[in-house]
Amino acid sequence: MKKFMFVLMAGLFVCSQAALAGNVTGSAAFSGTAPAKTEIVMAADPTCASLHTEPVYTEEAVVNSNNTLKNVFVYVKTGLEGKTFPAATTPVSFDQNGCHYMPHVTGVMVGQPLEIINSDSTLHNVHSLAKESKEFNLGMPIKGMKIKKTFEKPEIMVKMKCDVHPWMNAYVGVVSNPFFAVTGEDGSFEIKDLPAGTYTLAAWHETFGEQTAEVTVADGQPATANFSFSG
Amino acid sequence: MTSPSSNSIWLYRYSLLVVFATVLLILAGGLVTSHEAGLAVPDWPLSYGQMMPPMVGNVFWEHGHRMIAGTVGILTLVLTLWVQFGKKCARIKKLAWLAMGAVVLQALLGGLTVILLLPPAVSIFHACLAQTFLCLLVALAFFLSPPFVSAGLAPAAASASNTGTAQRPWLFKFWVLIFAAVYVQLILGAIVRHTSPSHAVVFHVIWAFVVIGLIFLGVRAVLVTLPERQGPARTALTLGLLVIVQFFLGLGAFLYTQVLAHGYAPRTAEIFFASAHHTNGALVLALSLLLTLQVRE
Repeated sequence: MKKFMFVLMAGLFVCSQAALAGNVTGSAAFSGTAPAKTEIVMAADPTCASLHTEPVYTEEAVVNSNNTLKNVFVYVKTGLEGKTFPAATTPVSFDQNGCHYMPHVTGVMVGQPLEIINSDSTLHNVHSLAKESKEFNLGMPIKGMKIKKTFEKPEIMVKMKCDVHPWMNAYVGVVSNPFFAVTGEDGSFEIKDLPAGTYTLAAWHETFGEQTAEVTVADGQPATANFSFSG
Repeated sequence: MTSPSSNSIWLYRYSLLVVFATVLLILAGGLVTSHEAGLAVPDWPLSYGQMMPPMVGNVFWEHGHRMIAGTVGILTLVLTLWVQFGKKCARIKKLAWLAMGAVVLQALLGGLTVILLLPPAVSIFHACLAQTFLCLLVALAFFLSPPFVSAGLAPAAASASNTGTAQRPWLFKFWVLIFAAVYVQLILGAIVRHTSPSHAVVFHVIWAFVVIGLIFLGVRAVLVTLPERQGPARTALTLGLLVIVQFFLGLGAFLYTQVLAHGYAPRTAEIFFASAHHTNGALVLALSLLLTLQVRE
């Protein structure tokens, strides 16, 4: 009976929290002239070059066809002070695939595993240039090799690079809560189940910098936050 | 005056080979930095757990540097042992062992740069010690050279009985000063190469003009004061030429590394200017030392 009551109370608590939370959606618009695409030359490693039949471009500024930006990291900058969130246990995938990092921008919670994978039949090193957490540089010479790493402190953003292939770089946003997202092919994002309250959301882009927006989440109502970048 | 033996001549030639290999090693080190390949191999002393990893991408530069370094280490060991058993002069033997110690320390520093993920202090020390090691080898080759051996002068004896600088002590002191100035420039250059953004570049540029002025004054002094001595005159003229080349290489390196925007990977011109400036700088330092020793003779 005690066990049943505990489960019931826990269920009610989760439901009440969900009811007091809302989703935030929005997009990262881009205006101005889109930077020219830079084609990557992979001749330094024939294995990398052989993996692509089409040209591969750098990803420091990807403007989508609907004039939005891909790879914008959106996170809660202020409004969650004093609240703690347990680190998610599900690993975030970070793949070296086609001598490219996939995804180019991602997010992870403090303490949440980042699962680094080598899907290529060439060797890579994965070098985290973290300043707040311990920097690491790991060799991944074997196809299919996986390594899990965690970050100890929040940091916007941690640059990751492969020193073997100088064109390979990526960014990981390390935050202390689960409320973050990355814009995709249509420039949109969605942050789910953000507790009711008023927040400053920030949108970070590696070339165009950071924009902020105020957003209020009330009683399970959806909220919107749009960002605008210019080139 | 004594005639150098066949062993002495071959030892001298071998010492020149080690000097040449060391210049190549310094160039290889510069190429590692220019390609930003210092951490392309994350382990040390093995490379990806192997003696010979696939030489792909920047592994080629980093592991290639390690292979040349290993070769220079072995060449230096042979030189040291050859001097130990083939020479009587205690000071030359000490100099050879000092060079051996320097190359071992250099290898350890190279390993530390990898394991500690390129801390600037270690990288700068590694860069400076590389050129100090070259200077030790140049000094050793000078003391093993046939003219020096023919004169029957050990370094200690030379300092006591030299006739050239007995009459012109200022010239030797002036070249010691020039060598020190070039060495300071080397340290500033290493700081610029291994810190980013580097404010040391301002001091490196200003000090370059001081060094250029000093070297031209020193070269002129050698040509005017010791016109009858072919060795110092030849070294002085070569040094003057290298300094002019160094100035233009420095301009190129400054333009490509400090002014122009960077791409996703270092450009060929950037790599060329930075590495050539780095290696030619080592030659300027080495020739400054050689000339200092020659005017002291």
